[in-house]
Amino acid sequence: MRRRTKERLFFMLFRGCAWAVGLALLIIVGYIVVLGIGVISWEFLTEFPRRGFTEGGIFPAIVGTLYLMALVMVIAVPIGVLTAVYISEYQGKSRFAGALRVAVNNLAGVPSIVYGLLGLGMLVFYLNWGFSLLASAMTLAFLVLPLVITASREAIQAVPSSLREASLALGTTKWQTIRHHVLPYSTPGILTGIILSLSRAAGETAPILLTGVVLTKTILPQDVWDTFMAMPFQLYALATRTVFEKTADFQYGTALVLLIMVVLMNLAAIVIRNRYREKYKW
Amino acid sequence: MSENIKVTGLNVWFDKNQALKDVSITIPKNEITAVIGPSGCGKSTFIRCINRMNDLVPKCKVTGRIEVDGKDIYDADVDVVEVRKRIGMVFQKPNPFPKSIFENIAYAPRIHGKDLDPSLQGTKVTKYTKKELAELVERSLRRAALWDEVKDRMEKSAYDLSGGQQQRLCIARTMAVDPEIILFDEPCSALDPIATAKIEDLLVDLKKDYTVVIVTHNMQQAARVADRTAFFYLGELIEFGETERIFEKPEQKLTEQYITGRMG
Repeated sequence: MRRRTKERLFFMLFRGCAWAVGLALLIIVGYIVVLGIGVISWEFLTEFPRRGFTEGGIFPAIVGTLYLMALVMVIAVPIGVLTAVYISEYQGKSRFAGALRVAVNNLAGVPSIVYGLLGLGMLVFYLNWGFSLLASAMTLAFLVLPLVITASREAIQAVPSSLREASLALGTTKWQTIRHHVLPYSTPGILTGIILSLSRAAGETAPILLTGVVLTKTILPQDVWDTFMAMPFQLYALATRTVFEKTADFQYGTALVLLIMVVLMNLAAIVIRNRYREKYKW
Repeated sequence: MSENIKVTGLNVWFDKNQALKDVSITIPKNEITAVIGPSGCGKSTFIRCINRMNDLVPKCKVTGRIEVDGKDIYDADVDVVEVRKRIGMVFQKPNPFPKSIFENIAYAPRIHGKDLDPSLQGTKVTKYTKKELAELVERSLRRAALWDEVKDRMEKSAYDLSGGQQQRLCIARTMAVDPEIILFDEPCSALDPIATAKIEDLLVDLKKDYTVVIVTHNMQQAARVADRTAFFYLGELIEFGETERIFEKPEQKLTEQYITGRMG
């Protein structure tokens, strides 16, 4: 009898924890949806803010965040994926690859404000890029690189070695094997990793805060050397003002748009994973 | 008999473990040579040396000579990719690509192209036309006795096929590259008896055009298909000779113990 009581006790404990997690998510999302949904309108999405963020919309912040992510993707994806290929296909068991793996893992644990400081010191001042879209994108690219590398490496290593052998035994070169087999078969995993990394970058505030984001700007960024507006920073700046109550609607609206964007990206990742899982199964 | 593969003093180490010890053997052309022996005796290591698949294993060291038609394939000036084109391999577990049946066969010929002048060593090749490629795929599948079973579903995934069909697909895929030698590494160990019988029939048929080396842990299989049999034990070649002679009058005590089932 005691054994069964214990069994039930632990089961309840596990279930309780799982429910707590779900509940926390529900409360956060629910709160933002309830307070933000009324704010969102066509005007809110397509107009510049007016009268100290009490009228108009968040169009430049949305565009800024999208520009930023596009640049982060252009910088981080090729470097990240090619590094992953190098580590897993060319340098499997070498010391250098081992050291690289440790470096990547540690890089993933560095606080984002430290990346911000690096961007400020190295990119903005030392390389004289100034406060700019490019400096921010590069800083964020540093931040997501370990995520892209880790996700890509796992996807690449999930391709069975029997398929590599099959290809090589037909007289293909290593590069042909990677290009025609390893990369296509690991694409779903790599894409999923990229999207999740980008959605992480979309919400980061500290790195862009120090390298190029501004609160107000009357035009969209003209080139990569220009400053820009972005949703997470706008949220942070408005919420820490002394008169934060005045802009409460704007804050909840911005939070909801950002949340929707991240959720959509995560959904896209799930859809891609499921579609490719059907296509490439072994 | 005309010799095709001549192995002299072959030693293989994986890190500090010696997997093959001073193996010398001459494998004749257009015959089936079976390699038998208990697990861990080095038989797979041995055939994986013949197309240099062991190059892929980190910390693997190979010494000795493996001459194919008189040329040592471990010479510094040999292109390993060319070696593997000439010496195909079929693996233990069927490993078709997660692509269509057609693509599985067409893949290698498409990237290699037609080598019209072999003396140029693959530096000048012509691309196959669509029609030629389709013909080559059909010919390879017919040769592997698979055409009739798959001709109506060439665009279906290779993974829709049964295990035995997948293995014949892998054999067809290997033949599409037009090798001279085909190595089989326990090709039937994942198959049922009926599928195994089909592969064995195919093997016997193949030796007209190819030199076949097959590793098997199934002694009856060696007895059924092989012209010659080599017995390996603990990394050494114990005995090599005509299959009938090996099974009926083994000269070595170890061979006799193994084939009579007193060791293994």
